[in-house]
Formats: sequence, C-alpha cells, structure tokens
Amino acid sequence: MLILVPHHAAATIRQAGPWGGMTLRGNHEDLAVIRGVSTRDGATFPVNTSPGQNLIAATGDVRASGYWYRVAPVLHVYWRQVSGRLGTRVPLSVFQEHLTSGYKKPGTTPYLALTYAPNLTDAFPDHNAPDIVAWRVGRDGAYPLNCLVEPSTTGISQIQDHWPVRDLQTAHVMLVGAGSIGSATAHALAGYGIGHLTLVDPDRLSWHNLVRHTTSRRHVGRSKVTALAEELTDLRPDTTVTPLVLDVIDDADRIRTLLPQSDLVLCTADGVAARRVTGHLARRAGIPAVMACVLQDGALGEILRLRPWPQHGCLTCRRQALAEHGGIDPEPALDAGYGTGTRHRPMTAVGPDLHLVAHLAAKTAIATLLERLGHPDQRLPGEHGLISLRRQPDCAPPFDLNRTGETRWLPATPPRPGCPTCETP
Amino acid sequence: MRIDEAFDEFQRSVNEDVGQTRLARERRDLFKRALISEPDVTEAFGSGSLRRSTQLKPINDVDIIAVYDTTQHPDWGTAGLSAEDALDHARGQVNRLLGKTNGSHGNEVRLALPRNHAVKCFLDDPDDENGFTVDVMPALRQADGTLLIPEKLTQNWVPADPEHLIDLVADRQRDWEHFRPLVRVLKQWRHDVAVTGRIKSLVIEVLALDCMPTSGNRPSALRAFFTASAARVNERVKDPAELCGEIQPDLDYDGLQAALADAAELADRACAAAAAGETDQALRLWQEILGDSFPAPAAPTKPANPVTGAPALITGTPALITPRPIKDAPQG
Ligand SMILES: [Zn+2]
Repeated sequence: MLILVPHHAAATIRQAGPWGGMTLRGNHEDLAVIRGVSTRDGATFPVNTSPGQNLIAATGDVRASGYWYRVAPVLHVYWRQVSGRLGTRVPLSVFQEHLTSGYKKPGTTPYLALTYAPNLTDAFPDHNAPDIVAWRVGRDGAYPLNCLVEPSTTGISQIQDHWPVRDLQTAHVMLVGAGSIGSATAHALAGYGIGHLTLVDPDRLSWHNLVRHTTSRRHVGRSKVTALAEELTDLRPDTTVTPLVLDVIDDADRIRTLLPQSDLVLCTADGVAARRVTGHLARRAGIPAVMACVLQDGALGEILRLRPWPQHGCLTCRRQALAEHGGIDPEPALDAGYGTGTRHRPMTAVGPDLHLVAHLAAKTAIATLLERLGHPDQRLPGEHGLISLRRQPDCAPPFDLNRTGETRWLPATPPRPGCPTCETP
Repeated sequence: MRIDEAFDEFQRSVNEDVGQTRLARERRDLFKRALISEPDVTEAFGSGSLRRSTQLKPINDVDIIAVYDTTQHPDWGTAGLSAEDALDHARGQVNRLLGKTNGSHGNEVRLALPRNHAVKCFLDDPDDENGFTVDVMPALRQADGTLLIPEKLTQNWVPADPEHLIDLVADRQRDWEHFRPLVRVLKQWRHDVAVTGRIKSLVIEVLALDCMPTSGNRPSALRAFFTASAARVNERVKDPAELCGEIQPDLDYDGLQAALADAAELADRACAAAAAGETDQALRLWQEILGDSFPAPAAPTKPANPVTGAPALITGTPALITPRPIKDAPQG
C-alpha cells in the first residue's frame, strides 16, 4: 500500500497541532491519496491533490479515513527498521507511547495513520528517515506503509545546482516542424528546461503519423502543434509552449516578424524548400538555426548548425560544397525558388531512430545557446553532425560511417560568392 | 598560494599606479576647468577608460569631451568643413588656454594636433611613445541627450553616446565587484594575443559587458567570458549605444576568435584542476593564459612545460597531467 501525501497536506500537518483526522481516496491498486485534513479542533478541509488525481478519478474509488499524529523522532527510526522486514509491526503500546496526544484505538478494521516527527534529522542525523511516514494501525499493532510526500518544489528548478536552469528558462526557441522528429525535439527541449517554445507546423495528426510521432492516438485529427503543446504543458509545466498553425513557406512573413524574439530556430520540417526558407529567415534575423533530418531513407541522421557568422555558409552553400565533392546528390529542388519543388517523401525511418536524431538536434540547440552564455562544457565538436542509424556500405565521404551508432562532426564551410542568403542585403 | 591570492597579486600588477592615476586625474581636471571657462563651452567632462575606471597602467592618455553651445556655432553639426572647423577651433582654444609658452590657464601642452575625432594634446615630447596625451573631443549635445562628434575624414558629424558606456560599466560594477578589475585584466591580456594589427581596448570592454557573468568567482567568470566571447565575437563587436556600428571594422577577428577559444579551453582546464584540488596545475594554466606576471606555483617540484607534460616513458618523469579517471557512480 502506498499513500500519496500532497504538499498542501504535508504543510498542514507540519504546522498544525498534535493530531487531527484525514480522509483519503484509494483505488484497487493499493494506492491512496489524501483528500482532506483536519486539525484537532477544526473541520476537515479539502486538499488540492495534484498527484494521483487522474488515477483515482479513472478507477472505482474507495473512501477511507484515518488520523495523523505528531510523534517523537524515535518512532520513525522504528518505522525505518520494521519497514525492511516483511510482516513486522510495532506493538500498539509502543506506537501509542510516542504520540504527543490524541491516540485513537483501532476497531475491528485497521485505520490508516500518518505520523510527523519534527526535528528528526537533529535527533537521528544518520538514520535518513523521512519526517512523515505512514502506518496501518490494527489491533495487533502498527504496520509500516510506504508513503510519498510531494516536495514543495517540483520541476526543473530541482536540478538548478547541476544544470543552468536559469539561463534556459529565459531562452526562447522556435521549432519549425512538429512531425516525428519535431515532436521528439520539442519534448527534449522542454526536458532541458527551455523556458519558451514556439511550435510551427500547418499539419494535422493522422493515423499514419502515430507510428513515429510522440503524440497519442486520442489527438488524431487535431493540429500537431496544438496537441503537442497540450501534452508538453502537462508533462513539462516549466516550458511555455505557443502553438502556431502556420506554414513556414506560405506564412514566411509572419515567421519573419516572430524570429527576432527567438534565440534560436530549430527546423525539423521535411522538404528542401521549408528548410531553406527557415535557414534564410534565421540568418536575416541574426540568430542560429539548427536543422535536423534523416537522409538515405532514414539510414543516416544529420544535424546542421547554421550560425549567422561571416565565415559560415548557409544551408545552400554547405549543400553545394558537399555536392561538388561528390558527397551528396543535390536535391532536384535545391535551385528551385521558395515555395516550389518537392515537399514530401514517404518517411521510411523507424520512430526511435528519428527520436535519436531529434534528441541530438535538441542537444545541439541547447549547447549552442549555452556556449554563447559562457558554458565551456557545452561546446560541440563541429557544425555538421552525422549519425549512422542503419549502416550503409560504400557511401561517399563524409557520409562513410562504418557502423551503426557512429557519429561524426564536420566543420562549417564558408559562404559562396553571390549567395543571396549569406551576402548582406 | 591559493588561486584567489594569485588573482589578487596579479590584479595588483595590472592595476594602475595610484600616483599615476592621481596625476592623470589632475591633468584631466585642469583641462576641464580651462575648457569650461570658455564662453562657448557648455560642458567639459572626462570619458574613456579613466572615467569608467577600467584604465590599464601606464595611464598615458586621457579623454575629454567639450560640448559646445550650438547657438554660438550654428554652422556646426552638418556635413562639410564644419567638422574640421570644430577641431581647429578646439585646438586654438587648447593652445590659448594651456599652451607651453603663454597659456592662460597652464603651460602643459607642447603640441596640439587635430586628428579624426579629437585634438591630441601632447604633454611630453611628441616622439616619446609613452608620453602623456590628452584627447579633447568637441561635441554638440542633441535633443535626445546623445552627442554629435566631428569626423574629419568623412567631413561629417556622427552620433555618439559615450555616457551610455560609462553608465553600463558603472551598473555592472555595482552588481559585481570584480567587473572593472577583470576588464583591466582582459585589456592586459589582449596585448599578448597573436593578431594582425592591434585590438582596441574598447572592443574588449564591450565584449566584457556582453559576455562577463554578473556573479561568481574570478576564475569561473573568466572561463565563462572566454567561452562566450569565442562564440559572440563572430557576430562582430558593435557600439553598445547602437550609434556607431562596428567598433573596429579592420579587427583581425580570426586571430581574436582563436585566442579567445584557446583561452576558454585553458580556463576550463584550470577550473577543473582547481576543483580537483590541483592548485599548482591551475596556477600554471592561468599563467599560460594571463602571462608571466600571473604568480607561478610557490615551489615547482616538476620540470617545465606544464601543459603537455613530459612523456613519462622517455624522460622517466611522470606526466604533469594525468588523465582524470571517470567516477563509477551510475545514475538511473
Ligand atoms: Zn549561402
């Protein structure tokens, strides 16, 4: 049996008098959550139960009641000791002896109890026992139960001593493309603690997307960005997500006005034209762009980092440099104007391979932001990352990765003379 | 020696001499008093690093801005010869007020030469490379509070806001006590950077405003500065008042970028060494970044070439840097 103690209930118990009542709701998975707490002479008031709420609403619930007591610290040391032994209990007389007041004798059916031991770490610094623990109190004694107390702070700020949370919470990334790579990228960016995420994609979620997309079946038919924003907000409340049902090519003017508010744009859109437009707009806005895609029917993952630096060429310039060295077959649409050329190819990669590329893209974006803020541990080995997802023999360099899982980073290539993106307008 | 003690000692070697600063301030104030006594000068104030307290020793130049009354110079401020006129006018005033032979307020100035933006006044032998100079820049105050300054080469007047930089530096110093001292350290550092030409001290000062953290200790702040600057410098260094554009268009950006990246790498290793308790190693690395005036470890027990270390198998001495084993503490 596990008892969830919401933070609000724990705070009440820690501040109130020596004892009180509590009401719980449980389900048939041996899980209960505290829904109300009373103090000795007060009425029971409801507790905001963020944990366990959905779970209890979804299954047939069981009401229960119990008591909480303020106790001497040594009782929690006993709790720790008997917890490790199956079927072991604390005799009722011992349990009662350590309460400060308010003991309720158990009837024929046992009741649930929480005990709170103030100054526990002062009294027993080495015992590592929690200050709130749970019991099932029956006529034959008090059995230890597991309980989880919700901490006062949850979310990304918990790791701020080990990760530059503050720097990332103020950062703003625009993600163009919310498909299979894009959805996983969005999750990864939020996992890193990006404060603001703008999602751009015109498409709706369809049945055939489900095999690779992170969004669940119940969102089929909705805009990918709206569904993704909802799921992310639920999962990573530290990230503010703005969904925009826009097409980067058709709505380039809207995107152009939004880009200066972003610190970086990450493009996972498929189609050469969308990638070129994104790269062009980012360079004009003076912000870095990270492009993620798979090549060769999903055998090879590719991350391109395009920083708006004079010595770094744009997407087109890099592609042409590769093509001239026989590394890549130029896309037929490469020389086509914006908004023309091929758009979709059937995606042949498996979901987790795409998500692997997505996570590397998110890492690249985060590292780019953090390096610029002075974090030396986030410098990347290059501007162009390749990862072999399914090894293909006899590929031309630099795509000649020998084994699945191998990664390679290449430097930037310079802009080409006359490039309409690289040369200042 | 502890790391912070080494930084203290190094800072003392970088900081200006107190006597020199006083002399510089006295000379600045003499110029200010003399210029403000003129009927057409409405303000005279110091700018430059002395005003921002980011000066490096030896202090041998001081910047003064003289703001002129536009009603008395109605033709100034527009394209044409008025930029040169203003500089000539200021030169005449300086000579009359402070000229060697018969200055009315003092006899400090041996020679006053109009340059592009300011009149350079030589207080020592003009051929003395370390001679003391005062730059007097004429300016007009605009309605928005910014200045217009003459530019002889283009025969025009250009906007400028030196007071903005003064305020920015003062704000940063209020936030964090190490800001100004470290700017001086970085200005010193730039002299040893392998670049074609020179790096203007203003470039370093603006990079510091942009890339120096606002808290923390000096080693970690320098590490962050070098890391961020090595990326940020590729975006070019521009006037923080957003008036004059790029500060030094002819700067050898590749050379500076490479130097910043090298320093970032060494600083990262220096901080890691310090965190691992390898203080001597950390000091050696900081010395490699900041030069020989940075204190060396007290008693070097190992031979020189601290960074690469001697190949143990050949010389029989252990390498000074041994690869750090990774901790076996898996996380789920
Ligand atoms: Zn280009």
